[in-house]
Amino acid sequence: MSSAQIEIQLIASVVAIACAIPGTFLVLRKMAMISDAISHSILPGIVIGFFITQDLNSPLLILLAAVTGIITVVLVERIQKTGLVKEDTAIGLVFPALFSIGVIVIAKNANDVHLDVDAVLLGELAFAPFDRLMISGTDFGPKSLWIIGTILLITVGLLFAFFKELKVSTFDAGLASALGFSPAIIHYGLMTVASVTTVGAFDAVGAILVVALMIAPAASAYLLTNDLKRMLFLSVAFGVFSAISGYWLAHWLDASIAGSITTMLGLLFLAVYLFAPSKGLISVMYREKQQRTEVSLLTFLLHLKNHNEIEERHVNHLNEHINWQKVRSETVLDLAIKNNMITIENEIVSLTEKGNEFTSKAIDYIITNEDAQIEDMKDDFFLFRG
Amino acid sequence: MTITEYFELVFSDYTLRTITLGTAILGAVCGMLGSFAVLRKQSLLGDAISHAALPGIAIAFLLTGAKDSNVLLLGALISGLIGTFWIRGIITKTHLKSDTALGLILSLFFGFGMLLLTFIQKQPNANQAGLDKYLFGQAATLVEKDVWMMAIVTGLCLIVLLLFWKEFKILLFDADYTKTLGFNTKTIDILITSFIVLAIVLGLQTVGVVLMSAMLLAPAAAARQWTNSLGVMVFLAAIFGAFSGVFGTAISASQNNLSTGPVIVLVAAVFVIFSFIFSPSRGLLFKQIRIIKNRRDLELYKTLAFMHNIAETHENIAHPHAIKILNNFQGFTRKTLQKLVERNYVTLNGNMWSLTEEGFNKAANLYNQHSNEDE
Repeated sequence: MSSAQIEIQLIASVVAIACAIPGTFLVLRKMAMISDAISHSILPGIVIGFFITQDLNSPLLILLAAVTGIITVVLVERIQKTGLVKEDTAIGLVFPALFSIGVIVIAKNANDVHLDVDAVLLGELAFAPFDRLMISGTDFGPKSLWIIGTILLITVGLLFAFFKELKVSTFDAGLASALGFSPAIIHYGLMTVASVTTVGAFDAVGAILVVALMIAPAASAYLLTNDLKRMLFLSVAFGVFSAISGYWLAHWLDASIAGSITTMLGLLFLAVYLFAPSKGLISVMYREKQQRTEVSLLTFLLHLKNHNEIEERHVNHLNEHINWQKVRSETVLDLAIKNNMITIENEIVSLTEKGNEFTSKAIDYIITNEDAQIEDMKDDFFLFRG
Repeated sequence: MTITEYFELVFSDYTLRTITLGTAILGAVCGMLGSFAVLRKQSLLGDAISHAALPGIAIAFLLTGAKDSNVLLLGALISGLIGTFWIRGIITKTHLKSDTALGLILSLFFGFGMLLLTFIQKQPNANQAGLDKYLFGQAATLVEKDVWMMAIVTGLCLIVLLLFWKEFKILLFDADYTKTLGFNTKTIDILITSFIVLAIVLGLQTVGVVLMSAMLLAPAAAARQWTNSLGVMVFLAAIFGAFSGVFGTAISASQNNLSTGPVIVLVAAVFVIFSFIFSPSRGLLFKQIRIIKNRRDLELYKTLAFMHNIAETHENIAHPHAIKILNNFQGFTRKTLQKLVERNYVTLNGNMWSLTEEGFNKAANLYNQHSNEDE
């Protein structure tokens, strides 16, 4: 590994961490799309800043862009408060308009400005090590590492200082304001951090990757845990993992680093989405299937309890009468037999003592809705676990 | 070229005519379908889908090696649909909310698309140049074939809308009721979503990925302000969309270095701002006027009630009082007093006022208007 390669991976990892922290709160506060809006609408801020300073790394430019980010948030809220359109429509109206202004300003001055919309949106991490911070002839490393490193330090500082406030206001806004934390200050504080991070990261990795780095690790982590601290930790870990593995994917394919990191984030999310232990697609579908079978079982047992006549309890009749497809009726019968709830003699189904007791308890539960009735059933059946 | 020159040229010049027609049709179909997106609170779906279409374009190119726009759009359509259904899967099967699902699919698909695009660009195939026009759109690349394609899709969409109008309408406003009526909501839902994806894919070439969502939303959001009827809203949105397309093209053609997409979006934004302010029933201007008027009426009645209190202490309600008494009272101004005189509630005599019979009754019944109506 050359030193440039190490530096690129370092920058990508620091960006990933800096994005994952505000991203976690954005996802929890259902404001994920705001990060997309900010990432597009900072364009005019960047353009104006660039005209003034002629330097893509100037602090003024970051400041102006961050201000544009805040303006976006304020505008969205203002429009939403008029009640004329819903919040998502407000977001969808504001950022394309601001973005269009940015694109037009760039295009009108394209001849004398070295600024590309593509570069802003997509970024090029591979060039980051070439732009170095030189102070009186000494090389202090890549400039973007310093910028995003500073932003990360501030973010982490704010996170530790206001962790309690953030936590309370995220999960119970009402309680937070009753306790005296101003929801507005926390909201705008978070928005400021998100927009400063977006700006700080854009010229290294581009606007779209910032959105991916904010949302995808947090969303993946949210499928694995309900604990805020663990979620933050997991998001950071996912971000760093994707940053480094993405770099090597890009190296191997000779393609865009930002695109590769996003692709790794995507694969990671896909894996978590499918295989997460309790909230993944597969376990959710398994649970749903299990519940369907158990509801069928219960219906079946209730039917048996209600009918003592032999003809009502004939296997063939049950098939027709309850109108289940053959496969499911077999599953249900198997489950019932396995649990010793029914016996089948000469194709006549009857409830065993255990089945009878179970059904009575289940009816009690359905009628009274009191949990105590079914305590001992919870171990055996998904249905009653809630 | 000035705007007037543009309008002279638009009928004779092939390129201008094609572009104008293309953007107008695109605006119309986007407005039409956007109305459904806005009303179903799926406004940002357009943004997500337009980004999600990118990998499809790249994969279609990788598979065929050709830059035939129909093949690329087919790829975009497929990957847009995959994105849409994945978004739905995330929302229904996990506890992640719709905004997270949208942001995820948007950024992940787009990033993957970028990976493929840069991968393609490094390939020794000279044919790939210009794929990135789908990012920002280039209306100038529209040819007659594309416009025909748009027109056909728009016509198809119109027919389906008319055929299933009742179903669409009822699904929008009461999805559960639709289900109990026995309509297959899933099919209707998939139908409308597929058309939205199709419209977005068509627009990619013209206005590009980033601005496509505005094309879908802005005309619909503007149209919503003028009407409460779905039919009128869809119609108005189509008109606004078409006009945004035409004006946007005109403005960008009459200036140097103005890309068409952003100008169309800004024109649409102007429509929105105008509608937000000047719509008679919902607009901010008239709402403000109504508020001011209500406040003034309130002051007026406050003064009247205050006068009523004083007059009540006298046997003769018309007993004249000095205006000075009112000085202690904040709701009183010369103007409100004049208004009360105009309504015949008060008579003024020099510096003295007295309540009329009508004014007294009015003030007495000020707070029980309901019981008055009941009588």
